Amino acid sequence: MLKIENMTGGYGEVDILKGIDLTLEAGEILTVAGTNGAGKSTLAKAVVGLLPRVGGRVLLSGEDITKVPAERRARTGIGYVPQTANVFSSLTIVENLEVVEGVKDRKARMAEMFDLFPALAGRRRSRAGSLSGGERQQLAFARALMTKPPVIVLDEPTAALSPIMADESFSRIKALAGTGTAVLLIEQRARQALEISHRGAIMDGGKVALEGEARTLLADERAAELYLGVGH
Amino acid sequence: MTGFAELLFSGLMSGLIIGLAGLAVTLVFGIARFSNAATGDTMTLGAYGALVGSAFTGSVILGSLIGLAAGALASVVSYLLVFRPLQGRSPISSLLASIGLAFFIRAIIGLVFGHDQNVFQLDIVRPIKFAGIRIQPNDLKFAAVAISTLAVVFIILHLTPIGRRMRAVADNPLLAKVSGISPRPVMLALWSIAGAVSAIAGIILGMKTVVSPESGWEMLLPAFAAAVLGGIGHPIGAIVGGLLIGVAQELATPFVGFTYKIAVSFIVLLLVLLIRPKGLFGRSEGVR
Ligand SMILES: Nc1ncnc2c1ncn2[C@@H]1O[C@H](COP(=O)(O)OP(=O)(O)O)[C@@H](O)[C@H]1O
Ligand SMILES: [Mg+2]
Repeated sequence: MLKIENMTGGYGEVDILKGIDLTLEAGEILTVAGTNGAGKSTLAKAVVGLLPRVGGRVLLSGEDITKVPAERRARTGIGYVPQTANVFSSLTIVENLEVVEGVKDRKARMAEMFDLFPALAGRRRSRAGSLSGGERQQLAFARALMTKPPVIVLDEPTAALSPIMADESFSRIKALAGTGTAVLLIEQRARQALEISHRGAIMDGGKVALEGEARTLLADERAAELYLGVGH
Repeated sequence: MTGFAELLFSGLMSGLIIGLAGLAVTLVFGIARFSNAATGDTMTLGAYGALVGSAFTGSVILGSLIGLAAGALASVVSYLLVFRPLQGRSPISSLLASIGLAFFIRAIIGLVFGHDQNVFQLDIVRPIKFAGIRIQPNDLKFAAVAISTLAVVFIILHLTPIGRRMRAVADNPLLAKVSGISPRPVMLALWSIAGAVSAIAGIILGMKTVVSPESGWEMLLPAFAAAVLGGIGHPIGAIVGGLLIGVAQELATPFVGFTYKIAVSFIVLLLVLLIRPKGLFGRSEGVR
């Protein structure tokens, strides 16, 4: 579904990404973990088309989209929840969903989103800026899902959430993959993320340091010590 | 008391013009992210367009529509030729280019129309007395036009899909991109609206006073002050800021004299920047 080939690139002269290869199949969850500054968010930006300079290739359903601008990638198949500033704060909840382009049958889709996120349904006319952290994250998720994207990139979707809300979020992500969506899941809560994932990759210094089946990574001593945090 | 009420009314009238110009400044700042120093000269261009249009059609109303179209067109063309190529560079590049553009527009107007003052041929109507103050009926018409313009802009921003997209881009341009919003139509809408609003401000200013190649340029400082006072990027703030500055200018006139009332804008601008840079309505998040 999504194929990343020898991806390099960064914000200026310096390469933050130093040659990354990853693939993601339909219905699969791929967790990308790694310490702060490893380049996870930069990888996400490169995939959705926001990174100023990118080398290598990105393929979506076999089609090379490396040169396709972000707004067209968004309309044709890649949903994205950025790590920060992931809602339009000055727009209402409804407007946040209405403003998304590339949506078929918008009315029905919005109704589905309000079913999926009942907390949002009660506050349709509230400004997104007035929402709590958890509600904001739900709105960001709903906004990204409006186009029914075959691929979704989630950048630390549970970072600001309480453990209970994080659990809820993980089960939503699992359910989403169950419907055939390919999920690129960047997570600090790496253990929990790997538990719902098919595969995992651990990034370090702009490279993939370790990659494999989620189960294998969870059992891997080295991965556990280096990247997943010892203990829980 | 009557003196005060008349100054207040006259201040509100100039405040509407300043507010319209400030609205154009703030819209461009909010979405294209730089201070457009050519706003004043777009006003002038609109006023000359209306003068020429009125002469051709024999109707001030038709002429004004032509002026409005001229302002919008000039604004879109300046986007396509000057500001779009500079997109993605530092905002300083666009600001400097807009200063250059301002001089360019003014020079062309001076070249074509000369530096004499021109006046619109409006019907002379006797002032009416209302609550003890004298009011020019034309002022009421101007106020109605200014307020309708504001209403139209707010309807576009809040009730139409393109307006919603404009607000989304102002709020968070990267998130707008990954929400599938193409920058091109948003920018074209922005520059048409900013140009039309500037032109209307310039036409009303010209009808209330005179039209000269410098008339819009002289409004730039009050317009910037209004936008900053209201919280840069905040449309309602720009209007409120404009009204406050208009009133402050008029009320200051008896003390500082006519020639120095422009200093009021400068003082307001300076004080806001020093004390409360985000302005009256500025939010720390959202529209920046
Ligand atoms: N907007 C940016 N401009 C320049 N450098 C950036 C920017 N964002 C991140 N970086 C740099 O890129 C590197 C990787 O950052 P990031 O991808 O955010 O890491 P992670 O998400 O894994 O914590 C860091 O060294 C960071 O300083
Ligand atoms: Mg990150």
